[in-house]
Amino acid sequence: MKRFGMKMIRYSLDHPRTVFAVVAAVTVSLALAAALPSIWPRSFPWLNAVKVDTDPENMLSKDEAARVFHHDMKKLFSLHDMIVLGVVNEKDPEGVFNPESLARIYELAEFAKTLQWPDPKDPSRQVGVVEVDLIAPSTVDSIEPGGPGVVKFEWLMAKPPKTRAEAVEIRRRAARIPFLNGTLVSEDGKAICLYLPLTAKDLSYKVSKRLKQKIAGFKGEDRFFITGLPVAEDTFGVEMFVQMAISGPLAMLTIFLLMWYFFRKISLILSPLAVTLVSVVCTMSLLIISGKTIHIMSSMIPVFLMPIAVLDSVHILSMFFDRYQKLRDRRETMMSVMDSLFNPMLYTSLTTVAGFASLALTPIPPVQVFGLFCAFGISLAWVLTMTFIPAFVAFIPEKFLTHFGLSAAEEVPQTALARGLAWVGDATRRGANVIILGMLVVACVAVYGIHKIRVNDNPTKWFTKSHPIRVADAVLNRHFGGTYMAYLALEATGKDKSLSAYVEGFRKRLAAQAARLAADNPQSASVFGQLGEEASRRAATAGGIDKLLDRLAAFADAQADAAEDDDTADAWDDAGTFVAREKQRGEVFKQPAVLNYMLRLQEHLKKSGIVGKSNSLADIVRTVHRELFQSDPAHFTIPKSAEAVAQCLMTYQNSHRPQDIWHFVTPDYRQTSLWLQLHSGDNVDMVAVTQAVDRFFKENPPPVPIQHKWFGLTYINVVWQEKMVWGMLFSFLGSYLVVFLMMLALFRSLLWGILSMIPLTVTIGLIYGAIGLIGKDYDMPVAVLSALSLGLAVDFAIHFLEQARVMRAKYGSWARAAGPVFGEPARAISRNVIVIAVGFLPLVPTPLIPYRTVGVFLAAIMAVAGITTLLILPALVTKLEKVLFPAKQPARPSCSCAICLAAGLASVALVAVNVHQFFGTEWNRLSVFGVVAVPLLLLSCWGLSRRKTCRVPEGRRDQDMNEKDGT
Amino acid sequence: MKTCRVLSCRKALRIVPILLLGVAQASAQAAGGTPPIREIVNTADYMAYYQGRDGRARVHMVITDSQGRTRTREFTILRRDEAPKGTPDKEFIGEQKFYVYFHRPADVNKMVFLVWKHIDREDDRWLYLPALDLVKRIAATDKRTSFVGSNFFYEDVSGRSLTEDKHELLEANDKEYVLKNTPKDPDSVEFSYYKMRIDRNTMIPRLIEYFDKNGEKYRVYEVLEIKEIQGYPTVVKAKMSDLRTKSNTVITYTGVKYNVGLPDKVFTERYLRRSPRRYLR
Repeated sequence: MKRFGMKMIRYSLDHPRTVFAVVAAVTVSLALAAALPSIWPRSFPWLNAVKVDTDPENMLSKDEAARVFHHDMKKLFSLHDMIVLGVVNEKDPEGVFNPESLARIYELAEFAKTLQWPDPKDPSRQVGVVEVDLIAPSTVDSIEPGGPGVVKFEWLMAKPPKTRAEAVEIRRRAARIPFLNGTLVSEDGKAICLYLPLTAKDLSYKVSKRLKQKIAGFKGEDRFFITGLPVAEDTFGVEMFVQMAISGPLAMLTIFLLMWYFFRKISLILSPLAVTLVSVVCTMSLLIISGKTIHIMSSMIPVFLMPIAVLDSVHILSMFFDRYQKLRDRRETMMSVMDSLFNPMLYTSLTTVAGFASLALTPIPPVQVFGLFCAFGISLAWVLTMTFIPAFVAFIPEKFLTHFGLSAAEEVPQTALARGLAWVGDATRRGANVIILGMLVVACVAVYGIHKIRVNDNPTKWFTKSHPIRVADAVLNRHFGGTYMAYLALEATGKDKSLSAYVEGFRKRLAAQAARLAADNPQSASVFGQLGEEASRRAATAGGIDKLLDRLAAFADAQADAAEDDDTADAWDDAGTFVAREKQRGEVFKQPAVLNYMLRLQEHLKKSGIVGKSNSLADIVRTVHRELFQSDPAHFTIPKSAEAVAQCLMTYQNSHRPQDIWHFVTPDYRQTSLWLQLHSGDNVDMVAVTQAVDRFFKENPPPVPIQHKWFGLTYINVVWQEKMVWGMLFSFLGSYLVVFLMMLALFRSLLWGILSMIPLTVTIGLIYGAIGLIGKDYDMPVAVLSALSLGLAVDFAIHFLEQARVMRAKYGSWARAAGPVFGEPARAISRNVIVIAVGFLPLVPTPLIPYRTVGVFLAAIMAVAGITTLLILPALVTKLEKVLFPAKQPARPSCSCAICLAAGLASVALVAVNVHQFFGTEWNRLSVFGVVAVPLLLLSCWGLSRRKTCRVPEGRRDQDMNEKDGT
Repeated sequence: MKTCRVLSCRKALRIVPILLLGVAQASAQAAGGTPPIREIVNTADYMAYYQGRDGRARVHMVITDSQGRTRTREFTILRRDEAPKGTPDKEFIGEQKFYVYFHRPADVNKMVFLVWKHIDREDDRWLYLPALDLVKRIAATDKRTSFVGSNFFYEDVSGRSLTEDKHELLEANDKEYVLKNTPKDPDSVEFSYYKMRIDRNTMIPRLIEYFDKNGEKYRVYEVLEIKEIQGYPTVVKAKMSDLRTKSNTVITYTGVKYNVGLPDKVFTERYLRRSPRRYLR
């Protein structure tokens, strides 16, 4: 590999123009293929245009069970994602319940109704606000008694009120309706919330922008707030691109300035910038060309690529800078630098690629895309570093470099950095024990911190506290039941048993009904008896309960028509009604016991403190029931019979919005949906609510078999986060093992392999321990950063250890080798740390928290990885010098039982992790695989090391590599 | 002032139809010309709600929602015209009474809806809920709310008073008259106007389209089938669609019978609780 690589480098040094031409041609054509269809989609229909996707729901694949259920239920109950528009007036003593504010709210609702456009994909369809489901004072019904014996449905605010008294009256009326109180009208009576359902949530930014324009034209004391998960998610998508356009170039500029400071030669540092730019442009272009969407995840690819792409170049330039004046020939210097750095750079790139590529095994599509394209970008950056940088150096006339780098006289450079590093090198040898002890202490603290990590996310909190969406979120959740929607779907699962058992019960109920009616109609007994006979007779051939009942209904009708006297006809009429009632036996959610159970469940939820408000079918029934009885609070109950419930519901359907009921129940009354309004969209809170419900169901068995399942955006976020946390953890474990195998291959020694993993392990432990300790939630960006820290932290260790080996061989002892190691190589590492850590600080002031997190953590990862490498590794090398540099090496790595076993075990674990991740195989089955594989390994390692001469060429190691490739 | 004008107009109307109705059809059909708009409006109203002295029908109602799910209702509707003795049937479009008795779904069996339709004031409407043993008056303001969850409104069951709208003849061809009806009190209704296509042959309103305040059509009534029963051209199947909720309701009339001889007492509160079974079959 190295020989081929060196050939490539030499070729680039010899033919810089060819290299430039190829790089430029590839970059420009990729960029055009991506840009042209995006600008002129009509002219290039065969190419993919930029597709932006800001929907976190797409973190789950389209056929993910929870997502499929979410969509099925939304369709079943005709529910839409909603924009929440709150109006608050803190100046007026009556809040917004004054004629002026209500007039504006009326106008706003009328305006919201018009926010519809023809669907660009299908102009015959309208998209936008779903007018019929809009919740606003002027579009909802108030049910109330309208004088003695009169019940009426009236628009809550048909017209804006003229007087203050009328305005306050609207509040009084709304507060009486449980559905509206806390949802439309705040419980403190000061504010109003409109709920704008959307045909698709990706319209929420557009709709909220139009609303804001409208609101800007209003005068007065009212304050308007727009929030809700759809707006937060969609707005994030829009602002994300703005941030990309600002922060990306800014980070690039900072890196550029820092490199300029270190290497003082603009012409030379242009090359790493070019490498970075070309890698980013090519990767993003390929992403677009391949038809993948630019998602919240993939939008971060440039941010991740930049530091990594620049890493190798900084190592090269750093060494070039230090060595140039000694050789005074750019070609020779470059070849010498590349000779020293080729292996470390190859391996650092490979480990980073492995880290990112492992993300392809997580079950989250956007993360897979992100991982694969990052891996591609890093590979490309490596190729460019090996070709473009030498070509670039060859292109610079020698005379431009006259004053470049450290002069020969400056063998020990006098910069602060160099002096500091020399001191550190010294200190690590003298204070090795202290450092190792310190490391152990830190490790313990880190474990404690990791233990305290709280997995949580909330798209609203992707904005800073001062962002309008966060402000709206805070204000509206203070006034109302909550702006986060979750729905609990309940489904009756009980079924009648066999047909014969059913007929038996049918006849019993029939007899009971006959006995009840006997007093009124002498014919009842005989007619009902005939019906019972008919039921038994037909049961055998009916082929199902429903079909049997249909036949019996037809039979009763025919008998009623044929009846000769009124009593018989009436009795058959009653019999027909009985059969029809039997058909409704499955309508579980009309049964008073079930509705009362739902009310208890809602009571229980309210106690959680997270659910501010819940609305259900049971609430509708008891409200109508109360209004039917002159608003008597004693009738704010579920009536006693299913018929009475049905008649309450029929009354409810006599309103202006009869379709509203179907948001809560299916027409067969076997599925119902509880609408929950949560004060918080934090996943931990949503999880707490789901647990509270599970507990309730366990402690209070429902009166009939009922199955409960969640849907709604707040819940969907929990599902994908859970998947992501575990997915990331396993892919991290997988790539950790891959990196370990690579280290075994690179250093051909178990001890060195373990040593190289220490800075990485400590870095990750420290970073995640810190996250746990400071109470920062483990969210999406934090999870993704684990992949990055893996790649970066191991880089430094590889460079350091590789140089340590070379220098130890050169100088004979670590005491003498430490100095040189803390010269050139340590400076390269430090420069890298500083360039990237500082380079990403421009991400910190963005108003988008995930970018801020990435900026801060990238800087932290770089700093910690650099420090641990430069402190712990030399300390350990000092202590373990004898073991690390044995006089006698085994003939081949495969002859070492330890390496063989470690590699074998790592491979088994790697296979297990990936099989579990990818095929969802249970751990139990995998441990069986382990029980079989481990003894086999033991045997084969034992066999290998016992070979007479241990001459089998590369056998075991190749096998390792194959296993890795195969998984 | 306004109330006064409307009142006087209503008073006038009570006399006008009696004088003009018979003539309207005759003159229009004989001459082939266009009769005065008042005649068209009155005749159409007569054809839709007043044929025969009384009537009975079993109604099967299918409500289909935007997802294609259906719900059904079955009821018997009884109608009796309050025509003064001796008034020829064709000359009456005045007060009448409706009794709607629900058979299915079984859990609303025996529910009754009673209407007393007036000409000079708001109609009286009652709903009897047997399981709660409650008789509720339905507020006059609720006349344009859903009738038992269907796409029909209460007002559609008994008919909208002719005096509440201004009528314009938009078009008259050899097939139909097209009327535009604009409410006199726009705040009392949800539409800004509705267009009515009246079949020239039968004088039955065949298609009614409602337009909202933005001029968008949102609600459509269409006659699907007409049969002649006892000499009366009768709508036996009709459909009301809501274009916004994408739902519709189809009603089918069976067992239609005119001039049954329904006694007045059936249409009283007493019969809400005690159904007049012999008239319901």
